[in-house]
Amino acid sequence: MELSEYVQKGFQMLADPGCFDPNAFTLLLRAAFQSLLDAQADEAVLDHPDLKHIDPVVLKHCHAAAATCILEAGKQRADKSTLSTYLEDCKFDRERIELFCTEYQNNKNSLEILLGSIGRSLPHITDVSWRLEYQIKTNQLHKMYRPAYLVTLNVENTDSGSHPEISFSCSMEQLQDLVGKLKDASKSLERATQL
Amino acid sequence: MLLDLSEEHKEHLAFLPRVDNAVVAEFGRIAVEFLRRGANPKIYEGAARKLSVSSDTVQRGVEGLTYLLTESSKLMISELDFQDSVFVLGFSEELNRLLLQLYLDNRKEIRTILSELAPDLPSYHSLEWRLDVQLASRSLRQQIKPAVTIKLHLNQNGDHTTQVLQTDPATLLHLVRQLEQALEEMKTSHCRRVVRNIK
Repeated sequence: MELSEYVQKGFQMLADPGCFDPNAFTLLLRAAFQSLLDAQADEAVLDHPDLKHIDPVVLKHCHAAAATCILEAGKQRADKSTLSTYLEDCKFDRERIELFCTEYQNNKNSLEILLGSIGRSLPHITDVSWRLEYQIKTNQLHKMYRPAYLVTLNVENTDSGSHPEISFSCSMEQLQDLVGKLKDASKSLERATQL
Repeated sequence: MLLDLSEEHKEHLAFLPRVDNAVVAEFGRIAVEFLRRGANPKIYEGAARKLSVSSDTVQRGVEGLTYLLTESSKLMISELDFQDSVFVLGFSEELNRLLLQLYLDNRKEIRTILSELAPDLPSYHSLEWRLDVQLASRSLRQQIKPAVTIKLHLNQNGDHTTQVLQTDPATLLHLVRQLEQALEEMKTSHCRRVVRNIK
């Protein structure tokens, strides 16, 4: 793992028991994970009484360094040994390395879910609703007597967060065509996962 | 159910007995073409010259015929009703038979064209799909994230649009299940009863 000088400097301070006693270290570490993973977290995450004695600039620097390291490790899917090696190079003692790795392991899944959800993708279908109607007449055409379906796809746009809907009408034959093709896709998917 | 023909309409149609039945048949063809593709003034001028009448007369005759055919097709009136409706125009029996034949021959197509005039929602045309697996992104490496990419082709008012969408395997199965249920609905006794009784 390669991280910037800023991060390394922050970690040097974090490794120093003179700067951060064991309790403060644990609190800062947890605060870093919380800022990243807890949607409701805000600046108050560093407002713990046991961190008050530390210079706020140092606190912020180390918090940012820890968060950056966590994200990079998550992105690279770093294993315990990679992380340990990096922390050793930053002069962390055994105990602090263990603590960091344990916290990381505990939060690994949430971290990966978070990172995996960032990014551009095509509009994503989340649900479908349908309506079956029997058409009797319009002002242009009387005595129609045919069934028709109205299908609405609920779609989520990852970047704009908007939820547009795609609606379309179709006859029974067209719906059969649509369902047939979707079934082909899902059968292909099943076969692919069995390989 | 009889057609209600206005005086103006009857006037326009009064042109028809003055020409050959072959010409009336030709007008019928022009009328259906008019519905398919819109009016073509050049055709009216050509016919007007050949028949030594004004272009306006020809146009009104064709439009009168068009209206007769579309109203009859819209209401889906029976043969008998059509004949009775046309009877009031006082045409020859041969002309009446010709008009009836025009109606019966073109009714299905005219109804198809009229159905396209209804309030229009995009309608389904076709669908293409593709299986993808996302392996990595800028924010996360070493992924295995299967997805189905779908290109949905829709028609609206003659325009063809496409939407590219994506979904995950679980949602795909959910979509298939939901839409199969929709298809099954038509086979239930409730729906069958409605279809049988509303005619």
